[in-house]
Amino acid sequence: MKDLALKSIEYALEKGVEYADARLEKHYNEVITASNGKIERAVVNRKQGIGIRVLVNGAWGFQSTTNLTMSGIKEAVNRAYRVAKASSKYIMQKVELAPVKTYVDSYKTQVKMDIEDISFEEKLSNIVKWEKEIHVNESIKHGLIDYTGIKIDKTFVNSEGTKIRFLNSITWITIKATSKEGEITQSYEEVIGHSGGYEIYQIQNIEEISRSIGEKACSLLKAEPVKTEKDAIVILDPNYLALLVHEIIGHPSEADRVLGREAAWAGTTWWTGKLGQQIGTEYLTVYDDPTIPGTLGYYLYDDEGVKARRKILIEKGILKEHMQSRETASIFNTEPNAGMRAITYEYIPLIRMSNTFWGEGDWTYEELIEDTKEGYLVIAMKEPSIDDKRYNWTISAQEGYKIQNGELTVHLRDIALSSTAPKFFKSVDAATKKAKILPIPGCGKGDPMQALYVGNGGPYIRGKATIVGVK
Amino acid sequence: MRIIDKLKEKGEQTLKIASQMKIDEAEAYLVYNKVLTIRLVNNSIFEAKGIEDIGLGVRVILGNGLGFSSTSDLSQEGIIKTIESAIKATKTRTIPKNYSFPKPAKKPLIEGIYDKKLAELPEEEAVEIAFQMINESLNYSTKIEDNAGVLNIIEYHTVIMNTHGLCMDDSGTFFEASLTATAKEASTTSEGSKSIAGRSLDKLKANIVGKSAAKIAVDGLKAEKISEGEYQLILDATPTADITSYASMLVSPPIAKLYMPLFLNKIGEKIGSEILMLVDNPLMSGGIGSSSIDDEGVPSRKTTIIENGVLRTFVYDTFYAKLENRQSTGNAIREIFTAGISSLPGKNYNSEPIPLPRNPYIEPRDWKKKEIIEDTKEGLLSKFFHYTRITNPIRGDFTSVLRMGLYYIKNGEITYPVKKSRIMNNFFNILKNIDAISSELAVGGGWGSYTHAPTIRTKAHITPV
Repeated sequence: MKDLALKSIEYALEKGVEYADARLEKHYNEVITASNGKIERAVVNRKQGIGIRVLVNGAWGFQSTTNLTMSGIKEAVNRAYRVAKASSKYIMQKVELAPVKTYVDSYKTQVKMDIEDISFEEKLSNIVKWEKEIHVNESIKHGLIDYTGIKIDKTFVNSEGTKIRFLNSITWITIKATSKEGEITQSYEEVIGHSGGYEIYQIQNIEEISRSIGEKACSLLKAEPVKTEKDAIVILDPNYLALLVHEIIGHPSEADRVLGREAAWAGTTWWTGKLGQQIGTEYLTVYDDPTIPGTLGYYLYDDEGVKARRKILIEKGILKEHMQSRETASIFNTEPNAGMRAITYEYIPLIRMSNTFWGEGDWTYEELIEDTKEGYLVIAMKEPSIDDKRYNWTISAQEGYKIQNGELTVHLRDIALSSTAPKFFKSVDAATKKAKILPIPGCGKGDPMQALYVGNGGPYIRGKATIVGVK
Repeated sequence: MRIIDKLKEKGEQTLKIASQMKIDEAEAYLVYNKVLTIRLVNNSIFEAKGIEDIGLGVRVILGNGLGFSSTSDLSQEGIIKTIESAIKATKTRTIPKNYSFPKPAKKPLIEGIYDKKLAELPEEEAVEIAFQMINESLNYSTKIEDNAGVLNIIEYHTVIMNTHGLCMDDSGTFFEASLTATAKEASTTSEGSKSIAGRSLDKLKANIVGKSAAKIAVDGLKAEKISEGEYQLILDATPTADITSYASMLVSPPIAKLYMPLFLNKIGEKIGSEILMLVDNPLMSGGIGSSSIDDEGVPSRKTTIIENGVLRTFVYDTFYAKLENRQSTGNAIREIFTAGISSLPGKNYNSEPIPLPRNPYIEPRDWKKKEIIEDTKEGLLSKFFHYTRITNPIRGDFTSVLRMGLYYIKNGEITYPVKKSRIMNNFFNILKNIDAISSELAVGGGWGSYTHAPTIRTKAHITPV
């Protein structure tokens, strides 16, 4: 079957395309949902197909098909060719691809326990058991475990001679508890996951984590609501920071967004044209790095066959680099940095985050708390509300603590932070030594929408923002 | 061989194989999807892409278990493997007593949901139509600097068959055309967006999309900042469609139970204003979400969800209906929401049915849109929501960015455009404060999500951003 990918390229070249690539993919997915002691959903999907991308007269054409016969492949190439040719009459600028090395390689995610080898019965029994642990007392009204397992066998080939096979395996669970007492309802959730196999659920003590999530949801019932406070000193934990990095650094670092190409959908970015400029303090360093094994955003070559490396998006406050495709790299006159991914063969690749995280600083967590006279510790992401330029942001947190004279005091609920990106970046004055990358399973982009899994995070950082009480 | 016949052949093969295995009931859902997407960026065609996808979803009942699996491999081996996976999955999920797949029933005839002209539109013509949106926008004003957008054309065919002898098919076409124009004057820039959607080629008016987007963008160049406060807020079809889509999710029993419990246990309660009627009407001729059957073969019917502000019912497929000992409302939809697993813009074979409204809309009332504006002493008119969220699915905290197309109304007249602002409110308050609903029903929405929607007036707290 692998020859089909090469044959599609050969056929596209015969038709006279300038460039062609193909992704031949086989997917296995399983999704199980358990709530309040019962399995609500259990789904197994298998699909396979090919996505073929061609450049004709400087215009892109793409077609995917599940018809993996030679005639199906030819028809797909013909369609991709036709739409590319038709589009080429209406382009302002011909697509140019920045040159890259060609590679022939094969690699796979480290897996100790293949998700397909674990029986459905065992998964079911574990998931129900974990869900039960959420119910630590009668205040827990609702428990939820969403389990996802994905395996992908992907072969990428292009007309320049690159041929890469990647066997990937990703799995995660979302654990959520909802508590209620009187008129107060609270919830708490956490995602556990990695690129790898089912072993993560043995390495991590999921029963204990489930219990702690249940306990947190209950403890929030006794927590205090917050009052609005402008320019408060805030310490963000890695989990809250993950969402902040995702929304106000990761997305605006996508070069297609910088070029205004996402204007009709998710929006643009406020820092277009600011490469090389100081946009924050020396504690603002952010990376995007797909090469970290075990993370949700792990890969060694992107969906254009470009070899991955760590990207330094912002270094000590200076905007250094965007996430690039071969096409955008050519426009920015820079080297491609392997930012292109598609969720399945059905879709054309887009510039996406891999693992985008805030860099480490030189503080310890204890020093940071002790050094803060009056402020807030803000813990765990909840919901973002961001404008289309990623300038104004309001992000709610799952919990918080008041800090008084270097000590955590009052436990807080219904807390959100609000600021503008540049104002916040210029306020950051500390970051701790250890960064943590968390699994973020639901990043949406594209039309048709592609919901992708990425990694985000960082250390604890300190800055200033407006505290908003969520009513 | 016609696509439908090919799908039926595979359905028969699936049921035949399944009946040779030890199962009580089996169902085969087959899908053919063809999607063409033309993306527009920086005043030109950015990429043109297509998806052609055929696949099979199998549900089986064995003992008291229900299992599901899907595949795009329609070989004998692929089908066997899928049925085996579905059988394995029956061990995980218990069915309510006497649950059974739907029995054959007569389906209604719905006009205007499949258009051969749209299905067979040559790629070259689709590209021309897409580019026409840009031309119309650029021709509207020399202040228009940039345009980005999309034209999506979808054709689908489905077949649903089960071991009760049910065998039904459904075909449809759909398009969405959307453009965001950027205007510039001196150092001021402004955006304008317009999206349309429909089921037939005659409704695909590229000129309307281009001109409307450009007008909003040019208007926005003169936008002024408003002060924070409580405003009467008139919502055009697009923001009303956002409200409708959220309300629709909240009346799905599994979504309400697992993720968004805002309407849970509120049947019979007043959750909106007296004049608010939310219906699901997949029988509507040419309706955005209309079809003769739902995604498990139950004939379509109209359901009143909110009646005079009172939440009357959730919507049901056969499974969730049986759990509550009631009848399906014909609302089975196959959509998957998990990251990394594709949910196509057409029909999805890789998901079990879940109940969701299929063609929901707020029933039009007796106001003309013009009258609503004339009746507003001081308020805002919004044509576009961005990043709409129910940030607290238990309490209903609701937020959205009024990114563009926002106008100030004084003494019944649109006076000037308003700069980007944020709405923060409670979802119930938005529904309860609706005091005017227009008699015109347009199509609103964007980014793959559209509903029919009137213009409505409510109240909300607005903050400039």
